[in-house]
Amino acid sequence: MPASTLAGLALLVIGESHLSQANYLINPLHESLSAAGAKVHAIGACGAGAGDWLKTITVPCGGERSSGAAVIKGRDATTTPIKQLIAADKPDLVVIIIGDTMASYDKEAFPRAWAWQGVTSLAKEVGATKTPCVWVGPPWGQPGGKYQKNDPRVELMSGFLASNVAPCSYVDSLKFSKPGQWETLDGQHFTLAGYKAWSQAITKALGESPALQALKKP
Amino acid sequence: MSAARTTRARRAQALAQFAALCCLCSLALATEIPLYATGPSQDAAFVRFVNAQETVLEISASGSKARTRLEVAQPASPFYSVNANAKLRGRLQAGDQKGDIALAVKPGEFATVVAMPGAGTIRQTILREQPDDFNALKVSLALYNVDPQCGAAGLHVVGRNTTLFEGVGAGTLQRRAMNPVSISVQLRCNGQPAAATLALGALQAGQRYSVFVVPAAGSPRLFLAADSVSR
Repeated sequence: MPASTLAGLALLVIGESHLSQANYLINPLHESLSAAGAKVHAIGACGAGAGDWLKTITVPCGGERSSGAAVIKGRDATTTPIKQLIAADKPDLVVIIIGDTMASYDKEAFPRAWAWQGVTSLAKEVGATKTPCVWVGPPWGQPGGKYQKNDPRVELMSGFLASNVAPCSYVDSLKFSKPGQWETLDGQHFTLAGYKAWSQAITKALGESPALQALKKP
Repeated sequence: MSAARTTRARRAQALAQFAALCCLCSLALATEIPLYATGPSQDAAFVRFVNAQETVLEISASGSKARTRLEVAQPASPFYSVNANAKLRGRLQAGDQKGDIALAVKPGEFATVVAMPGAGTIRQTILREQPDDFNALKVSLALYNVDPQCGAAGLHVVGRNTTLFEGVGAGTLQRRAMNPVSISVQLRCNGQPAAATLALGALQAGQRYSVFVVPAAGSPRLFLAADSVSR
């Protein structure tokens, strides 16, 4: 893993429910990125889609971890407008981990126009600050569960994001595992082993991402 | 049983209870996340207005104070987000001419209401598209033809042997993806060059645009609109 690529960089990581519970992604990802030398501020908001990070909305749960331990929130959790977060943190890189909350797994039709509006609005908002960004797409889950996550829709969602997150570069989490390989609690959220595997794969991919390579050029 | 053995047994029992409690806590932590929606109940829907007249167009919504004004030089509004399948009602006014707005927009649909001069009232053409070509790396360009005098509209790139669109009937549209370029286009009606040409400028990747062919005295008029969405 090219730890030196991430070393010394300030990362602002925002995302959905995966970053909202202590035994989910927020801790192993924070630890993995920190071990690679990055200074990490991670924020999760359950159920928040891309467009929800342009404003402040209340969400059913959330999490935040900066230099100390993760703070897990309940119904007092909110999103914060991305411009406000960037202005406060002045990160070298913004990492967006959003996909599952926008895939409408339990609906027959994929809400393409809504997804386009939210995804492009957030990507452009980050782009307007000239801060490099990387968008991490959804990983394979296990079909069914209370969110009715399913392989065809997660594949569609990932493909949609790959085509629409510019100027952010895209990290395709579907390449990190085989469908159903990482055990889940509810079809969508992984056991700690899955989150650790995803964390390590994200850290490696960030280290190799074009956004970061460009940042490190003299 | 000796006192020491009793103490050890109690400690072991307490430890077992603590471990079981921890296990329950862990399970609870793992399953406590509230259920949330992974998307909207139905897709978004949008409507915009285009002024194809040579006078200012005023648009007002029924049941609200929402109103906007489209100048001749800025003839297209942004797309406004609306409730899918809801009946949208309002009023168009251009000078003495008026017209009622009444339409519903399906989930995932982008509707364009084009206002044109009519006999005593504002004539409207509503064109609808349900795009599936969203791509931030490409330009998306559409040709909207609302001029009945230009039966099969096309766009040809000026100075190049390239046709962008052809055979776009009146009251219809076509859309295509293309690379970001800076070009001018020539209108063709029924395969013949029409007078109008239009400099599109530097088209940006990830942006969506529409070229409108509208009736005008003499020959059709062309203009470009960015398909922006109002926030």
